[in-house]
Amino acid sequence: MSYTAEMRESIKKVEATRPRRMEETHRRLTLEEQQDLLRRFHPDYLREGMRELRVGPNAGDRTPNEFADLLEARSRVDPRTFDLSRVDYDTDVLVIGGGGAGASAALLAQEQGVRVLLATKLRFGDANTMMAQGGIQAADRPEDSPAIHYLDVIGGGHFTNIPELVEALVMDAPEVIRWLESLGCMFDKLPDGTMVEAHGGGTSRKRMHSARDYTGAEIMRTLRDEVRSRPDIQVLEFAPAIELVLDDKGQAAGAILMNLETGDRLLVRAKTVVLATGGSGRLHYQGFPTTNHYGATGDGVVIAYRAGARLAFMDTMQYHPTGAAYPEQILGLLVTEKVRGLGAQVVNVDGEQFVYPLETRDVEAAAFIRECKERGKGVITPTGQPGVWLDSPMIEWLKGPGTVEKALPAMVRQFKRFGIDIAKEPMLVYPTLHYQNGGVLLQTDGSTTVPNLFAAGEISGGVHGRNRLMGNSLLEITVFGRRAGRAAALKAKEVKPGRLTLEHVLAWERQLAEAGLNPQIVSPLLLPEYTRHVR
Amino acid sequence: MTEELVPVFIMGKRYDVPSSLTIMKAMEYAGYQLVRGVGCRGGFCGACATVYRLQGDDTLYFGLACQTVVQPNMYLTQIPFFPAQRAEYDISTLQPRPERLFSLYPELLRCLGCGTCTKACPQELDVKGYMAAAMRGDIARVADLSFDCIMCGLCAARCPVGEAQYNIAILCRRLYGRYLAPRSQHLEDRLAEIRAGQFNQALEELKSLSLDELKARYKARQIEPE
Amino acid sequence: MAIPYYPGCTLSTRGRGYDASGRAVAKALGLELQELQDWNCCGATFPLSMDNLLAMAGPARVLAGARAQGERVATLCAICYNVLKRTNHFLQGDAEKRERINHFIEAQYAGDLRVQHFLEVLRDELGFQALRQRVEEAREATGRSLEGLKVAPYYGCLLLRPQKELQLDDAEDPHILEDLLQALGCQPVDFSHRVECCGSYLLVTSAELAADMSFGVLQSAARSAADLLVTACPLCQYNLDYRQAEMARQHPGFQPLPVLYFTQLMGLALGLDATDWGWELHHVDPRPVLTEHGYGQVFGVRRSEFGGGPQRTPNSEP
Repeated sequence: MSYTAEMRESIKKVEATRPRRMEETHRRLTLEEQQDLLRRFHPDYLREGMRELRVGPNAGDRTPNEFADLLEARSRVDPRTFDLSRVDYDTDVLVIGGGGAGASAALLAQEQGVRVLLATKLRFGDANTMMAQGGIQAADRPEDSPAIHYLDVIGGGHFTNIPELVEALVMDAPEVIRWLESLGCMFDKLPDGTMVEAHGGGTSRKRMHSARDYTGAEIMRTLRDEVRSRPDIQVLEFAPAIELVLDDKGQAAGAILMNLETGDRLLVRAKTVVLATGGSGRLHYQGFPTTNHYGATGDGVVIAYRAGARLAFMDTMQYHPTGAAYPEQILGLLVTEKVRGLGAQVVNVDGEQFVYPLETRDVEAAAFIRECKERGKGVITPTGQPGVWLDSPMIEWLKGPGTVEKALPAMVRQFKRFGIDIAKEPMLVYPTLHYQNGGVLLQTDGSTTVPNLFAAGEISGGVHGRNRLMGNSLLEITVFGRRAGRAAALKAKEVKPGRLTLEHVLAWERQLAEAGLNPQIVSPLLLPEYTRHVR
Repeated sequence: MTEELVPVFIMGKRYDVPSSLTIMKAMEYAGYQLVRGVGCRGGFCGACATVYRLQGDDTLYFGLACQTVVQPNMYLTQIPFFPAQRAEYDISTLQPRPERLFSLYPELLRCLGCGTCTKACPQELDVKGYMAAAMRGDIARVADLSFDCIMCGLCAARCPVGEAQYNIAILCRRLYGRYLAPRSQHLEDRLAEIRAGQFNQALEELKSLSLDELKARYKARQIEPE
Repeated sequence: MAIPYYPGCTLSTRGRGYDASGRAVAKALGLELQELQDWNCCGATFPLSMDNLLAMAGPARVLAGARAQGERVATLCAICYNVLKRTNHFLQGDAEKRERINHFIEAQYAGDLRVQHFLEVLRDELGFQALRQRVEEAREATGRSLEGLKVAPYYGCLLLRPQKELQLDDAEDPHILEDLLQALGCQPVDFSHRVECCGSYLLVTSAELAADMSFGVLQSAARSAADLLVTACPLCQYNLDYRQAEMARQHPGFQPLPVLYFTQLMGLALGLDATDWGWELHHVDPRPVLTEHGYGQVFGVRRSEFGGGPQRTPNSEP
């Protein structure tokens, strides 16, 4: 595989400028310059990519067309015929979603002494958590503080974040690191125990904790193993929730699951419900490739919205600046921000820097798009995909030979499969759809606007405002997973359940009709449609 | 651009697919909507473990469907799930001692050291090597050697004596992380400061700032040098 | 002189006192035991059915790996020695099966590695006369000696048998341990069961039978008025030492007999620091018999006492 002759020509220029660039630091943009760049080049600002919702609690708010279609679709369940009298599973807390947030919620709920059922669409652990490579933020060094972390988060979110949620995020962070360690997570440390911590885009202190570049995988497999160690937590795999069930008091009271292999429906009755179904990168907004796992289709947001939950920041998505642009087989897959954190610069076809490598992700991404689309300084692959160079060999020069292999084993392996040695050759990158900044509006205890319905993780909205910093998603899933799990369990102990009903689904149908909509599609989507059928 | 099509055999049935596709995309090209055998699509989750042979070659090959490009006359099947022994334990009451490892996984000592697991690992890990370390109770070495494990289960699927190598490995990593890794004093110090309420006032103040004041604070941040 | 060394799994866990004392002794004698890189379990039993090639893959890989690092490998563990040497013998004698195993383990081992027990190195390369000299020097330096200590040299099975393959010593009438003990200044005692089996792995399938066999060995040594017994095998050590608690219960008047690795006794004779030699894994306390020779204080036992002993409840975790 490896690079084409044209790309090699460009790499020669990158190599030629490298010794000079080792001494150079690109200027950071001012807040005003950042805003200008975002308005002109960030996909969130492309008007034709979004539309206003016409029904539901957020009617009038804008969201990407692809998401709006699913939010305004019909249910997969016929509320008139579905038999709510036959309950398949009875539990105290139902956790929907088997990623990092769901696992954290299940663990903390179980610790309160309640029965927990965790249902997930694919395998337990098939989640974006597993793919997060770079790290998890926590202000635990003497040079740092939760207040500085707060400022970084809120500035990174362009001052739109909900302050109380940010406070919860940064204040819980050190405790979360300790908790993960107590469960057996292996964070990178010096021999004396000092955590190895790095910068990420938009951080003013080094606070990125890592587990090589398998940080998310390390956290996910540890949480999963812990859940499996606790007999009081039941796990149902390949059983996505296709509709929430409320009771006649308007409280969340369970869900209808679907056995993904047989198509059978399963009714779960629960006293409280935690939604932790993650994001929606697999909806491929504006045709972007994505870093997300196969199941990231926004299912939880859809069913929460139909149950009346208010959403927030659903008009902003995160495009990770460094998705793989070549080779085609891994198009859109994440190249961890840690590569830039370790010192790799971003350069154009001529081998010149054009942006400070650790701007916040949205600004960095917009700068890449500008370099390729406006200035024509991108590298074009045989399939027409533009990209810019991420100069990973610099890391070997800066931090010593062997650093790339040691610090980025997953990245090395990823590219080696296609004949590219990233310790010697740069990677071609371009923005890729990475993260759903918004989602179900959250309180600090993980509660939503629907009684007894909690949420945690990428499904939620408000923590990150309009842009999330690297290392705050693994933090968010654990901080709010724990909070939601604990709160849901405490609530489950006191709740007086009413009669199960799907009345909200009937009401939804009426609202669609009143808005003059007659959608032909059903949602949630569950699986992206990638199959090709000849006829 | 017209792409060259190559024949592949998915569970014995022939499909002609573009030569540049990964096995996973080739299966979708062939018309499969994947439910099992698909996960992160990025080489991290271990859901898409695949076994294949090439025509005229007696070697059995292993890979991840999302990371392996098709080859002409590839005969493949996926092993998305493999039943494997997993010990019951409570990490908080274990001791990081070899004897605990042997009592939780007595079959560990049945390992022949044959190395079939190493040949099957799509991550190219030294599985046999970490099993050897486990047999001599070197938990830290198991943790280190097995760190990149994605728990796909191919090692267990191929083991002639029925080991579940990846479950032994995660136990060792958890024992290492919890008990053997050096403690972080700065983390303990920070937790004590938070418990003492040392940052409450600073957070309250930040929350009360006007947008302009907050922006000014943000701009004035001192950035810690690399 | 550095000698490539294969510790084996047991010497990394339960037999770590054997490993530690063996390394310390070797170092003191100018024979550094240099651990092989990347070794795996020897398999712990030589496969008895000759068509079981898969079970030979593990030891064959150890041999192939060791050959890549040198021309010989030494062991302390009698079981590892037995398995590795017999596997080597098998591979030397059957080119066709050697090729089959080579193909499987992806190696090109020609069968040309020398497998040695550390005892052989002492006898054939250092020489017991030189050892005696070193012991004399230690005696002068420390004022302590093992003079007059009656030691039962216990061989068991795996160190010697099958003689045709191992060729360490005469399987029925060996004397390498006796010669060693004399060099250390001890008095080796003759006893009927010195080449009998300790019960070995029968411990797992038929504990009663194994206990009887161990008891027979200890009784035989006791009849010869031994103060303690030495072995070169961690399984013998375990069977003979650990089982004494139960023997004391079953046989009134049973006299406990400390069971040491020969390397531990060597280390004492050479005046080395014995602090970290795994004493906590021994059940019968050897201090009483060694105190009169001035060695009572050299045991830096971390825990307050030995691991159990007949007079106490034995450590329940094997």
